[in-house]
Amino acid sequence: MNTFFQQLVNGLTIGGIYALIALGYTMVYGVMKLINFAHGDLVALAAYIGLTIFMKVGTSSSGLSILLIVLIGTIMIIVFAGMMLELIAYRPLRNAGAPRLSAVVSALGASMVLENGMMLLWGPNLKIFPSNILPSSTWSIGGVIISSAQFFIIVSSLVFMLLLHLFINKTKLGTAIRAAAIDQEAAQLMGINVNRVIVTIFVLGSGLAAIGGIFVGIYYREVYFNMGWLYGLNAFVAAIVGGIGNIPGAMLGGILLGVFNAFISGYVSSSWSEAFTFILLIGILIFRPTGILGERVAEKV
Amino acid sequence: MKKRTVTYALLILSVLFPLFSNSSWITIGTTFVIYSIVSLSQDIVLGRAGMFDMGHAIYFGMGAYTTAILNSTYGVPVLLTIPFAVVIPVIFAVLLAAPIVHLKGDYLLVATLGFNIVFEQALKNNLFGITGGPNGIFGVGVPSIFGIEFSSQASIYYFSLFFLFLTLMIMNNLEASKTGRALHFINEDSLASETIGINTRFYKIFAFAISAALSGLAGVAFAVQYSTVSPEAFNFIQSVLFFTIVIVGGQSSIPGVLIGTFLMFVVPEIFREFATARYFVFGIAMILTMILRPKGIWPVKFGRIPKYIRH
Repeated sequence: MNTFFQQLVNGLTIGGIYALIALGYTMVYGVMKLINFAHGDLVALAAYIGLTIFMKVGTSSSGLSILLIVLIGTIMIIVFAGMMLELIAYRPLRNAGAPRLSAVVSALGASMVLENGMMLLWGPNLKIFPSNILPSSTWSIGGVIISSAQFFIIVSSLVFMLLLHLFINKTKLGTAIRAAAIDQEAAQLMGINVNRVIVTIFVLGSGLAAIGGIFVGIYYREVYFNMGWLYGLNAFVAAIVGGIGNIPGAMLGGILLGVFNAFISGYVSSSWSEAFTFILLIGILIFRPTGILGERVAEKV
Repeated sequence: MKKRTVTYALLILSVLFPLFSNSSWITIGTTFVIYSIVSLSQDIVLGRAGMFDMGHAIYFGMGAYTTAILNSTYGVPVLLTIPFAVVIPVIFAVLLAAPIVHLKGDYLLVATLGFNIVFEQALKNNLFGITGGPNGIFGVGVPSIFGIEFSSQASIYYFSLFFLFLTLMIMNNLEASKTGRALHFINEDSLASETIGINTRFYKIFAFAISAALSGLAGVAFAVQYSTVSPEAFNFIQSVLFFTIVIVGGQSSIPGVLIGTFLMFVVPEIFREFATARYFVFGIAMILTMILRPKGIWPVKFGRIPKYIRH
């Protein structure tokens, strides 16, 4: 029973990270119908930037203020990178009315540029994330061990998800995002600036990816240039499990996938965990392609 | 007429190529030939039938692993492994494609990508103890017929080139056949093709099967050329490359796909000294190509529709 709760805590931690990353995928897919393959690489980039900032400002001291500086600095840089990504790799194609597959290849190209750019900048070897960003205390509750990093990641993922939920449902810009996701042309006719909506979702998505990237660094304590694919794919699976394009779905899907992963690693085998993730995905795609929370939409002819 | 002349000139050039090249260039030529077969077969599924298949390295890998396992572990002569290296990928293609071909666009892409990741992990974890784990399998022999061994680089080049010609012939026939037209129609409008009585499900699975067969052949050539197979050669990154080649080159355009393969697999060999930066440059090139030529470098040209039909 102890293993069960321990894996549940581990799963919730990973799930929180997946959910943060999945939100970026799902928002972009909802509005642009595009799998943003470069999103995972923004996560990796965030981990590198976070590491670099931390090395500059606070290797000896730790504390909340240092963590805040790292978070804010990384978010700013990654948001800028996300906006550039949209401006350079996606907007020209959208303006030209290019076929959808071209956008997919452009996204893959952007992913390659980011990934190999990171390799050229920081080298091909794995970098170790410092352990003193957060105090390394652990609590034991009935035999289940929770580290401060896990507690911090679970709580702050929930806080950021709540903030996003409020933004999407309570503000004017959030309403515009939902409208553009339902029908882009109709939204445009209603006077919504769809380009601004798209920039907004890239800002939000990249910001959440930045937080996710730093959490990956804090939790797994290692950074390497091609890790973006791993976290990106898992988060994308999470978005599909929850129902792609659906914001609460991405949150639910992320957490469910994290817990699923943790149980597979704990009870079956960690060397097969990726395979099980994708077997789950294929099962979902076959039996419920719209995901858990996705709506079934009749095809328009 | 002119187009045909150019085609024949290129075919003859490809046959004469080893006569005026040194061995390292023939190696590069062989690589180009092998990857051309895979890219062309990817084009049947992606370009012609319009299914976003991002797991094509599976069938390529199955062919290569079948030859490697049979030859290196069980001592079966390479030529006798060919039927198995074709049939096994076809069986898996039918089994894997059947439950998912009805999925649309990106969903199919993610499902096939998922298959590829499961495949790679199965190879790495040494499934049934025959795949050799993360290191793969070494010591694949060379084909031999009547005691004559195809051991020189040039003979392996011709061995692969034979498969490429076979592929080109099949694709040429496909273009002029009922199946080819059906695939093209399904790509244009799946629903409309179904309403006029085309069995879309059958043809979609057929497209997967035939392209898996060709990839399996390419796999045989791969195993012979490198005499070793390992999971990295068939992971999903490779599938992403094949996918990209077809879109960057031009869907259902044979010259386009060949150009794409050339850019992706031959150009890096020429610029060896910049090896670390190569994918960085490729990424930029991919974005630029899609912005400047959204339909690919060499888009396919269909016959023009007469004016009186267009309105």
